[in-house]
Amino acid sequence: MFPTQGGDDKLDSLWRAYRAACPDQEPSANFMPGLWQRIEARRNFAFSFQRMVRGFVTVAAALTIAIGVYVSLPSPTPASETNYLEALAEANALDTPENIGPVRLDWNEPRR
Amino acid sequence: MLVEFETVRRAQQGDSAAFNEIVLAYRKRTLGTIGRLIARTEDVEDVAQEVFLRLYFSLDQLRTPEVFEPWLYRLTVNAAYDYLRKQRRRPEFRMSDLSEQQVMMADAVAGSKADHDEQQKKKLRETVDSLLGTISEADRVLLLMKEVEGLSLRELEKIYRVKENALKVRLFRARQRVLKACGAAERQNQNG
Repeated sequence: MFPTQGGDDKLDSLWRAYRAACPDQEPSANFMPGLWQRIEARRNFAFSFQRMVRGFVTVAAALTIAIGVYVSLPSPTPASETNYLEALAEANALDTPENIGPVRLDWNEPRR
Repeated sequence: MLVEFETVRRAQQGDSAAFNEIVLAYRKRTLGTIGRLIARTEDVEDVAQEVFLRLYFSLDQLRTPEVFEPWLYRLTVNAAYDYLRKQRRRPEFRMSDLSEQQVMMADAVAGSKADHDEQQKKKLRETVDSLLGTISEADRVLLLMKEVEGLSLRELEKIYRVKENALKVRLFRARQRVLKACGAAERQNQNG
């Protein structure tokens, strides 16, 4: 099977013999139709995937705009215009009659 | 080049007729290369179609038509390598898995079809395949591209995008391993 000379020559002739033993293969009649079928299938898949991605992007953009508009709109309740301290001061004003009346001492209170 | 640069340019612009022309020009050579790389005749067409499929969808990435052939070789090597990796994961179907009746039928078919010359070629193919089985798939593909397909180191450099010296080292080691296996097989033949 192998030539008997030096290693490299031996391998080189083996490669040549192998090349001759494996000639280029003839394509079958179905090669081109099969190839175009696969191209079409891949193209259709890529197209439907692109369409799906485009749909997702459109929905995401619409949602972002809607949320942006909602957040930027002024709130109809007046509570948001006054802050917490102002509201508290208004509810417990210092100049109400019970706060400005005379101080009364209760003598019945037990002495310590 | 088996086709004009202009044909490649037209195919890059989406011309189906130009792409067809390319496939018709290169399919036989590609089938031959794949046949030698994967050593399984039944799957050669499938892998070759995969090569041209990848070519169709990647032609727009090709910078200039001048590098078309290394590009196609690169796709061929990658597709063959992917196939070999998939095959490694799949359990191989061996003669020992067949029933006795199936083995007898297979032998009968082989005996009736193949003449002496074809038997010799088959034996040689099997021997080389078993010798190449002693090195990794990547080295096997590289060695076949260099020694059997006859590509130069410069061409391989373009295909693999690796420096020539690194390729030389890898090829030398692969050759040494095959040579070693070759010697072992020879000694076994002499003893047996």
